[in-house]
Amino acid sequence: MGGLMQVIFDALSLGSLYALGALGIALIFGVMRLVNFAHGDVIAFCVFALLWPSVDAVAIIFAGNLPWFLLIPFTLAVGAGLSVLSEVVVFRRFRRANPATMMIASFALGFVIRYFLLMLFSSRPKSISLLPGLSQPVEILGARIPLLQLITILVTIAVLIGLTAFLRRTRFGLEMRAAAENFTMARMLGVRANRVIMGAFALSGALAAAIALILGSQTGTANIMMGASVMLMAFIATVIGGMGSLAGAVIAGFALGAIATVMQVILPPDARAFRDAFVYGAVILVLIFRPQGLLAARGTKERV
Amino acid sequence: MKKLTAILAATTCLSSAALADDDRIIVGFATAETGFMQAYDKPAQDAAMIRIAEINEAGGLLGKPIEVVKADTKTDRAEGAKAGLSVIDQGADMVVVSCDYDFGAPAALAAESNGLISFFLCAESIKAGIQGVGPNSFSASVLAAVQGATMAEWAYNKKEARTFYRLLDTWTEYNKGICDGFDWMLPQLPEAKLVGEDTFLNEDASIAAQITRIKSLPEEPDAIMLCTMMPGAVSAIKQLRAAGINSMILNGSGVDGSYWLSAVPDLSNFYVPVQGSIYGDDPNPAVNEFNAKYTEVTGAPPATQYTYPGYVMIDVWAKAVERAGTTETSAVVAELEKMVDEPTLFGPRTFTSELHHQNRARYLIVETNNGKPGVVDEWTISSPIPVADLMK
Repeated sequence: MGGLMQVIFDALSLGSLYALGALGIALIFGVMRLVNFAHGDVIAFCVFALLWPSVDAVAIIFAGNLPWFLLIPFTLAVGAGLSVLSEVVVFRRFRRANPATMMIASFALGFVIRYFLLMLFSSRPKSISLLPGLSQPVEILGARIPLLQLITILVTIAVLIGLTAFLRRTRFGLEMRAAAENFTMARMLGVRANRVIMGAFALSGALAAAIALILGSQTGTANIMMGASVMLMAFIATVIGGMGSLAGAVIAGFALGAIATVMQVILPPDARAFRDAFVYGAVILVLIFRPQGLLAARGTKERV
Repeated sequence: MKKLTAILAATTCLSSAALADDDRIIVGFATAETGFMQAYDKPAQDAAMIRIAEINEAGGLLGKPIEVVKADTKTDRAEGAKAGLSVIDQGADMVVVSCDYDFGAPAALAAESNGLISFFLCAESIKAGIQGVGPNSFSASVLAAVQGATMAEWAYNKKEARTFYRLLDTWTEYNKGICDGFDWMLPQLPEAKLVGEDTFLNEDASIAAQITRIKSLPEEPDAIMLCTMMPGAVSAIKQLRAAGINSMILNGSGVDGSYWLSAVPDLSNFYVPVQGSIYGDDPNPAVNEFNAKYTEVTGAPPATQYTYPGYVMIDVWAKAVERAGTTETSAVVAELEKMVDEPTLFGPRTFTSELHHQNRARYLIVETNNGKPGVVDEWTISSPIPVADLMK
């Protein structure tokens, strides 16, 4: 029983990370059909924002020393700020460009952010003890898991509930959903496009910051490439979930986390090194049977 | 016109190379001055420069001063080949290439095809040498497999470790090398038992599933052989300890250094093999003097043991040149291949016509206790790892 619970917690905590990432990508895709590949670099930037720029091997902790009740809002603000800035400076100019052009622009922006970090911090991974209190093991339902895993799951659930309430109960949320469904129509009906898009970018950036906090405290490392693997999984989750569908992205994120964890458990040792091949194999299967994704967003359906 | 320029260029190269032989000896660094590899190449290169300065102060090599020429590989394999050719054009007698096999090989191959000696700054794959480049290529470090074998034998003999768990990060050849050495050593330890094994990927956001497997063992293993490198190593170690696993953790040299220890406060029962100690407690006082000199020259003490191979490299090469009486490639290679347990600041070094790398080496064992690393022992594996086993 304890063993099974352990696996469930492992799957949920990894899935949470992917779900948060997928949500960040799906939010922006929903309002402007942009697959933001700079998302992973925003994650890395948020972790590095806690350090003082230096190329020394030993990290100089700066904002990372703040108490948690200041640290968390600070990081979320950095993520949201950088994300909004990237919309104002870069993506706004591509509003009328086709999605492929915007995607390339997002790649370019990602490189700019990454090399900016490389310039300030060098390629050497930096160590940072973030929220060290979360590294304690706790006993729950017969499973012994790090406190952080539990917090990750709870935070993700809270974010999902909060976001759902925001999208369903507030005027801004309604505008955002309307824009996701049919952007042109929403604009004609008086939805202010820039405000909605900036809101989506801010939310997406804050979600990136949340991932940064979780990854930072889990791995204890700031690395300029650290967002890349989560970004890849999150992007795949948005595709499986159905591009633009927020609920689909979250479900697919959790599903990917569960598949990766279960594969690690059931594969024989020699095959475990190729775990990701099995995970991506499952992705291909899903796309063969449901090319539009698990939950296709209404706005993206072919209307022929 | 193009032809003329080419001929002109060729002749100027020839004449400068010819000039070089007369009054100076040139070491060419085709290493990363920018990009990802820079952080790994620079410390070893700085150490090499210190040895060069020492030789020059003592009257030079064969009575000639050693000069240095450089070209930046920009952490790019294509640029690496160009950088190699560039230092050869500048008259290099020996070509120093990037720390890593993949990034250093293009420049090393350029040196090889020009009949020059190449030295990898600190590559730990068997390919960094005869097997991957050619008969004139060497590495200044020790094979990764020796690190895994050293840790297994030492923990068995000195820490009474009997049950081992093998956790491999499949990201790089280096990681696999450590575990290969461990796999080679384990059957030779009569009472040692492998109670489980698992793999992960350096970039995995979480190794919770792997940890669950360790925790489901009837008993916590005596030692976990962790074959990984930065940055995933910190993450793995942090997660192992956060899950309440207190087994001894054995590693390769890749996790040496105190710069990352802040991420896992009060880490204990953690062991790393090193060629020399950066912590000021090396049993050889000359190493501590070197650390002081390195601090003086670069402004900061060495961050990891990977600084040291750069010094060893110039040291053994210069000795071989001195003995050969020339910088001519075949003569110097022959002298290098005669070295058996050649003493260096960082332990004895052996090169043979079969292997231009170390398949056995003296390692210091660094223990981290309550977040404080320090040398506790030294160990040399009982027999060298056969080349055939290294080629698997």
